[in-house]
Amino acid sequence: MLPNATGVHSMNEMSRNLHVVGADLPRTDAVPKTTGSATYTVDVSFPGMLHAKVLRSPHAHARVVSIDASAARGMPGVHAVLTRDDLDGLSPVYGYFIKDQPIVAIDKVRYIGDVVAAVAAQSEQQAVAALETINVEYELLPAVATVEQAMEDAAPELFEDEPMGIVPDYGMGASGYRRIGRNNCYRFSYKTGDASVAFASCDHVFEDRFVFSRDQHFHLEPFVSVARYEGDTIEVWTSCQNPFPLRKELARVFQHPENLIRVQVPFIGAGYGAKNNCKTEPIAILLAKLSRRPVRFCMTTEENFLTQSQHAAILDVKSGVMADGTFVARSGLILLDSGAYSDASPLVAEKAGYRLPGPYKWEHLDIDCDCILTNTTPAGPYRGFGGTQASWASESQVDIIARALGRDPMDLRLQNLKDLGETYVPGESGLDSDMRVGLNLVADRIGYKKRKRVYGCGMGLSVGFKDAGGVNKPAQARIRVTTNGGIYLQCGTIEIGQGAQTALSQIVAETLNAPLDRVSYPALNTDYTPFDQGTNASSAVVVMAQAVQNAAIEAKNKVLSFAADQLECSVDDIELKDWTIRKGNEAHPLPVMIMRYYGGTGYEFTGEGFCKAEMDHSAPLETKCVSWEFGWGAAEVEVDTETGLIVLRQLVVSGDAGRAINPKICRGQDEGSAVMALTGALFPCMVYDGANLMNGNGLDYRLPLASDLNDGFVSILQEQGHGPGPYGAKSVGEGCMLPVASAIANAVEDAIGVRIRELPLTPERVLAAIDAAT
Amino acid sequence: MMSADLFNVTFRLNGSETSFHVRPEEMLIDVLRERAGLTGTKLSCDLGACGACTVLVDGKPSASCVTFAWQVVDRDIRTIEGLSSGDGDLDPVQAAFIEHSSFQCGYCTPGMIMLARALLDENPNPNRDEVRQWMSANICRCTGYEMIIEAVQDAAERNRSSLYE
Ligand code: FES
Ligand code: FES
Repeated sequence: MLPNATGVHSMNEMSRNLHVVGADLPRTDAVPKTTGSATYTVDVSFPGMLHAKVLRSPHAHARVVSIDASAARGMPGVHAVLTRDDLDGLSPVYGYFIKDQPIVAIDKVRYIGDVVAAVAAQSEQQAVAALETINVEYELLPAVATVEQAMEDAAPELFEDEPMGIVPDYGMGASGYRRIGRNNCYRFSYKTGDASVAFASCDHVFEDRFVFSRDQHFHLEPFVSVARYEGDTIEVWTSCQNPFPLRKELARVFQHPENLIRVQVPFIGAGYGAKNNCKTEPIAILLAKLSRRPVRFCMTTEENFLTQSQHAAILDVKSGVMADGTFVARSGLILLDSGAYSDASPLVAEKAGYRLPGPYKWEHLDIDCDCILTNTTPAGPYRGFGGTQASWASESQVDIIARALGRDPMDLRLQNLKDLGETYVPGESGLDSDMRVGLNLVADRIGYKKRKRVYGCGMGLSVGFKDAGGVNKPAQARIRVTTNGGIYLQCGTIEIGQGAQTALSQIVAETLNAPLDRVSYPALNTDYTPFDQGTNASSAVVVMAQAVQNAAIEAKNKVLSFAADQLECSVDDIELKDWTIRKGNEAHPLPVMIMRYYGGTGYEFTGEGFCKAEMDHSAPLETKCVSWEFGWGAAEVEVDTETGLIVLRQLVVSGDAGRAINPKICRGQDEGSAVMALTGALFPCMVYDGANLMNGNGLDYRLPLASDLNDGFVSILQEQGHGPGPYGAKSVGEGCMLPVASAIANAVEDAIGVRIRELPLTPERVLAAIDAAT
Repeated sequence: MMSADLFNVTFRLNGSETSFHVRPEEMLIDVLRERAGLTGTKLSCDLGACGACTVLVDGKPSASCVTFAWQVVDRDIRTIEGLSSGDGDLDPVQAAFIEHSSFQCGYCTPGMIMLARALLDENPNPNRDEVRQWMSANICRCTGYEMIIEAVQDAAERNRSSLYE
């Protein structure tokens, strides 16, 4: 049952003349993923392959005095042991902007779970047994488990010396700083107008502190890679969403030429942001080098929890408004809990800070976002990327303001939302969705205006917001068409679950007027695939898709001009359809024409495509944002004031796909991200006792299940048509993450008149808030 | 090399009688993935919590990560690879998952499909709520579940209509 686009005519209104784009075709990865034949990195194996396991620090903060691994080397099945003594010739510390995370501990360990040593053995059990013989002497140091502790004047420092790193260039109004306070690894600031002066002339000023929970990605496929180091060539198969930046980082760490590093990416069992940059790869590669054997390093779920998390956050937000409800000025200080290493924190800070205003008509903004290091799991990219934290605070405070002014929260939003096309901030691009349309849609669907006012029941709204498409991302794509019309789409966007392979293939099939099953999407190999910065930032359909479309157009033009030459006519007189040239009533099959000209062995046409937003120093982030992603949310809750339990009766979310390339895939993104956001809103998330993670395993970590939802959970897909992608497409991967928590908290206040400013919205917090209010 | 602490287990695997010499602590999932080469069954939490490793043991959904290999002696094991018919026709559950786009990364999918198959074998006519409750045995972090529930309901209908044909 392979997907076949010929004969599919289920086009909706907007796609009257499109055949493949806009159709709910089965995903091109459907058969492998439903029959068990899809190959993931966990399935990659080689003869003689060894298995790696690592020794992790039991201490949150300690100096590593000595490591004795001599006994491990003699244990059964062991082929290589790796400690800090095996790092000669390497630059063994990695990171995004700031290089601070060592492959294995060098001078200190900085969190419970920090990697101290690694072993490669014939089996995982043998590797674990060998690790148990390694003796590490630690000198314990005081630890900082929370942002507040870490910022105290006398707090112990995770890094006494400044790690190597950079501050990226910013444009108008934005700036970045390093180490400007105790355990501060980065600050992003954005200013426009003069907020402090403006507050003085506002009728009302609101100051609120919001706290954001710390979820773990819980991608079902763990962090995993398989490495080979043969001759001079490093080869790694990995579950990684940015293999080209990984190759660059590996080249730096291993002091190795990039052309002798080959990264390959099979199907990925999801990442939600976690699978960027170095995770398992440096250890697998180094062990492969030491053992001269292929090495597989596959983490357990418990280890995933010790490798990457979302950023917990404290957000102080101050907003000045006029008596008539006009939004004037907003300032804010966000503290992100970065965990023990900088990882992507500077980038998340940039986005959290930049997105804190929300899509409203403020004239004065003054936002700082600080990354604070703590002795906990390193925090990194997580779907929503700072936008989830920012939307939680921003959209909660909009309701607080509305209630204080005696206004309906929906009305106040309608009054202050920016208009379609209005620039976000000076120098920025225009917002490419009509937010009022989306807000009215979810409010109508949930029955917001007609709701009965019963104590204990309530409804809340939220407009989640982020920019989309990444900053300054170049995208390249290549199309190859064989003699018989087989199409290869080669580009660096990875199929991580989001359906990019299908959507991009649909664009190619549409452009080349071919059925979808003629388009193949080879798995990424850095030796052959055109460069890409990574599958992140909801960039596939707004940036990569343009490059893909350009490549397909170039290939098509080459085919048409070849055919026009052969038929001695103008390209305007011919059409390409199903790999046949139509000229009036004549049909000329291309294979025959190609072999007549190029010989019986045939030929391949190629097309190259490129896309990149222009550099623009007047734009705060140095390029105008490519697109803007919104998630509209409406929640109806019933609150049991005896138990504090929140029952979610309805959850309506909506994203704007601009133009849905594949509507079912878009729906899956909206619903999946909304349910993911429920974790941070209503579930316990990562629970720490001091610096000790208490629930970091599959049994204790509670995730939303099908039974946590009910038929009141609905998504509505909008196609407003204003996106920058092909056919007006926009990104949908993250938008519906953003409004969920605030819509629920807003509904809780609507229900019981109590405002909860801290996530997750646990029964204990609900009861405490009720107590505090009475 | 056969050592004293290995013992022989025989069971039916996707319809064929199969034997392996296993260690006492060896899990069913390791036998399936590493000995039988059936890598469609996926390991995730390794604690019996997520259901990514679900296979059918005598028709009942079981977490193969917490099932010892010796526990399945003489049992009938079905994995995702044994679901489609010999001539490649997909099971109605697989077809419905494709039709309804009920997977994203696909890592939970083999387990979800086996779980759904077990439901329909036990109850060919489940209502939406029964589907929701049953499918809550497994975790999907990608889809938000609704499209999975729709596929299972649709598969039940396909099953029924093929029965009455
Ligand atoms: S891997 Fe077996 S239940 Fe999670
Ligand atoms: S499809 Fe990714 S976990 Fe279910």
